[in-house]
Amino acid sequence: MADAAAPAPPSPPVDLSRITFESTRNRRRIIASYWFIVILALPLWWRTTSIDRLSLPESRARVLAEKHLSSPVHVELRGSQEQLEHVHTLHHELARWISPVAEANGLSFTAGQGPHTRKAGPGSYNVVLENRQDAVVEGRSLHIGLNEPSAGQRVIDTVTKILVPHVSQTASEEHRVVKYSPRYRLAFSLLNEDASSGRAALSWDVREAVDTYLHGTFDRLSVLHNFTIESQVQYHAPLAFEPRAIHVADNDAHGLTPEDLTVFVNSAEWTLASSSSNDPVLHFVLFVPSSQHSPLYILDHEGQATTSDAFVLPQWGGILVLNSPPSHLTVSELAKTFHTFHRQLLTLLGVPDLPAGVQSRQAEAFTDWQLDALVRQRARQNFENSKDTLNSIVKLVHQIENMPVGEDVQGDVQDALDALDAALEAVPSSSTQALQRSAEALTLSSRAFFNPGMLALLYFPAEHKYAVYAPLFASVAAPLIAAIVREVIAWRKARRAARQPEARARAD
Amino acid sequence: MLILPWLSAAVVAAASWSQRVHAQNADQEHAVRGFFNAQSGSVSSHTNNWAVLVCASRYWFNYRHMSNALGMYRTVKRLGIPDSNIILMLADDVACNPRNKFPGCVYSNAGRSLDLYGDNIEVDYRGYEVTVENFLRVLTGRMDPSVPRSKRLLTDDRSNIFVYMTGHGGNEFLKFQDNEEISAYDIADAFEQMWQKKRYNEIFFMIDTCQANTMYSKFYSPNILATGSSEIHENSYSYENDNDIGVAVIDSYTHHVLEFMEGIGKTSHKSVQDLFDTYSFEKIHSHPGVRADLFRRPLRQTLVTDFFGGVAQAEVLSSALVSGQGIPNTTERSHAQEAVPEKLAMVNAVEAYRTNATSGQTSTQQIEIVRTRALDTAAMFESYARGEQGSFSITARAWASVAVAGSLIAWVSRISKH
Repeated sequence: MADAAAPAPPSPPVDLSRITFESTRNRRRIIASYWFIVILALPLWWRTTSIDRLSLPESRARVLAEKHLSSPVHVELRGSQEQLEHVHTLHHELARWISPVAEANGLSFTAGQGPHTRKAGPGSYNVVLENRQDAVVEGRSLHIGLNEPSAGQRVIDTVTKILVPHVSQTASEEHRVVKYSPRYRLAFSLLNEDASSGRAALSWDVREAVDTYLHGTFDRLSVLHNFTIESQVQYHAPLAFEPRAIHVADNDAHGLTPEDLTVFVNSAEWTLASSSSNDPVLHFVLFVPSSQHSPLYILDHEGQATTSDAFVLPQWGGILVLNSPPSHLTVSELAKTFHTFHRQLLTLLGVPDLPAGVQSRQAEAFTDWQLDALVRQRARQNFENSKDTLNSIVKLVHQIENMPVGEDVQGDVQDALDALDAALEAVPSSSTQALQRSAEALTLSSRAFFNPGMLALLYFPAEHKYAVYAPLFASVAAPLIAAIVREVIAWRKARRAARQPEARARAD
Repeated sequence: MLILPWLSAAVVAAASWSQRVHAQNADQEHAVRGFFNAQSGSVSSHTNNWAVLVCASRYWFNYRHMSNALGMYRTVKRLGIPDSNIILMLADDVACNPRNKFPGCVYSNAGRSLDLYGDNIEVDYRGYEVTVENFLRVLTGRMDPSVPRSKRLLTDDRSNIFVYMTGHGGNEFLKFQDNEEISAYDIADAFEQMWQKKRYNEIFFMIDTCQANTMYSKFYSPNILATGSSEIHENSYSYENDNDIGVAVIDSYTHHVLEFMEGIGKTSHKSVQDLFDTYSFEKIHSHPGVRADLFRRPLRQTLVTDFFGGVAQAEVLSSALVSGQGIPNTTERSHAQEAVPEKLAMVNAVEAYRTNATSGQTSTQQIEIVRTRALDTAAMFESYARGEQGSFSITARAWASVAVAGSLIAWVSRISKH
């Protein structure tokens, strides 16, 4: 009764564990599923934030770095019966003195004597000893006289210079030669300083002139380069400075000082080339001064007018001043102009000169010796440049850790290395082949270097990383970690509670 | 039988000649080396000039940054760099801003005497194209194949490049368009990549922004000369307002440099040291810095026109080469050969002339002073950048933040227990 009289005990609080989501098991599942997703996302996060850096064939590049192109060159000495002894002695001397110079310049030099020791190939030349004073080149043969005491020395000297002309090249000559490119654009411009002043060349037969005077050269150079040609006429192309007034033979004239020449091109007001492609451009300018500035001469350092009317800007192009032209320049009137342009073009492309005292008997502008020397030189330069580029790619990828390396870069590097190997293989049989392979390697290695995907990620200081990640992740991580800690504590408590009654029971 | 002694004489002659050849080669090598030393010592060995001019900030109130960049554009163009060799990046078009009272014009002085926009201007990157990425692509040349020639920096190892940047910056960064920034490390890495690919001969880096000198502190590639408008923790100020335009029209440092440049013609012999000598706090209201430790030539002999001008050398073709009628025939060939030394002598004379003109007032003492000053600033930045203190404080901060987060978690779990 007493029990009945006693006030009913307050109904126990709702058992939280009955609510499904508050049941311990479910709650733990929910928390675990959050963590599960976070952990599942980790690889994704890793993948999306890491940079794709494929491995490059470094060891291959390193091995190639030690190698150099070495074109074989064979010189065959010939002479008439009575000169056999000369031939014999000279042959040894040639081999002895030229080999070191040639080797230092990427040639493996051999000398032979007699008419039938070796077949004529691309790398083989004849030196014919004759009774004459001068030296003449014809095809791949050099006819040289041998009737003076110092002739032996002269032969060796000449053969060295004609085989490796780049040895005796000065820095300024090296300076003006343009970088190798498989394609060039040649821009011919006829600029009238002021056509309204009277004396002006209003038109020119440039297409015919190019065909007549330059076509042969283009054909000869086709193993090295392709040329695109454009031309224009401008009627108002003012100078940016006032030429100096001078007197030549009691007549008023104007002159360009050596300093004026460096600023002659008024790039702010002359549009000299279209920008239709990314090929390097060589400019050839025929400048007609206005009647106020006419005649216009080039001055030397003393301020005296020189007989020259043309100059070269290194790696840029050539300029020719034409005083008092007819209003229309026909092909024949352009002969002198285009011979100057021709000369300037060869200078800029690096076609070597023949050694002093050697004359050409060929109709072409330059001999096979010269062309071969240029091809060998360009092949060697391309080979070295391509190697340098490949090694700098490898070096930069190591140095800059944020730089991605994609599949196309890997492929281009691979192909460039193949092309370099092919060049090495081709060089004993044909230097033209070697040039083509090395040019290919240069193009490929440059393309790999300039791959748009190779742009490194921006530098991101450590503080910035904390500043970016903390607001994002700290707010998410805090409840997640707190929930785990709570669960662990609750679990341990429950376990202790479960163990305690057991212990108490055992004590009883 | 007379031939034998003759032949032996010839061989002896050949032998002695060869010795001479070796001696000659040595001589030649010496001469070549001397020439190159002279090149690196005084006359620049470049054949073409390029300029990259960047205005990195947009909005009307940054009018002065646009006119900074345009002022430099006008100057490099006046001194002979063709438009095809200038990459001009302008983040905004203030000339056509509706708030511009003088549409189509950008002035750099209060009297509005000089319109920088003019009628012949070629902006290569404008508006939203001016990004950090595009700037780095221009420098490194990593472009899509479809990008036109006018937007490319087609330089080689004979190119001198002038890089000018202006905008809002801070310690080791420069803001682009108010939403991203380029750091000193990025530019330094870009220059290194250019060096590796032989994309420059020399670089002259100039920057006008707050704490500008920190921007060149990370450079590590050779042949870079750098100058900036202000030291670390120092602002770079504008020069003057125009009341009709209503905003500041140019920055103090750039105004000062441009004023110096106005006194320079295409054939001027002023050296970059002359420019640096004109820097003063009174005129600029900040402390401009110079960094020359990576640069190999003495500043006294480095002409301003080596970076702002057009071409350095011209070679006169001697008339013998030119007078040919018909395909150059044999006689002309020989003439050509004879003419070569004369031509070379002329080139040498040009060089000697320039050297003399510049070395006129050279005083080694001054150069040394400059060197030490430049080195001092460099060392200062370097110690600041990589000092152990710096890295320690970074780690300390990191651990502190971990501790804060930990205590936060502990606190949450305590509360939930109660």
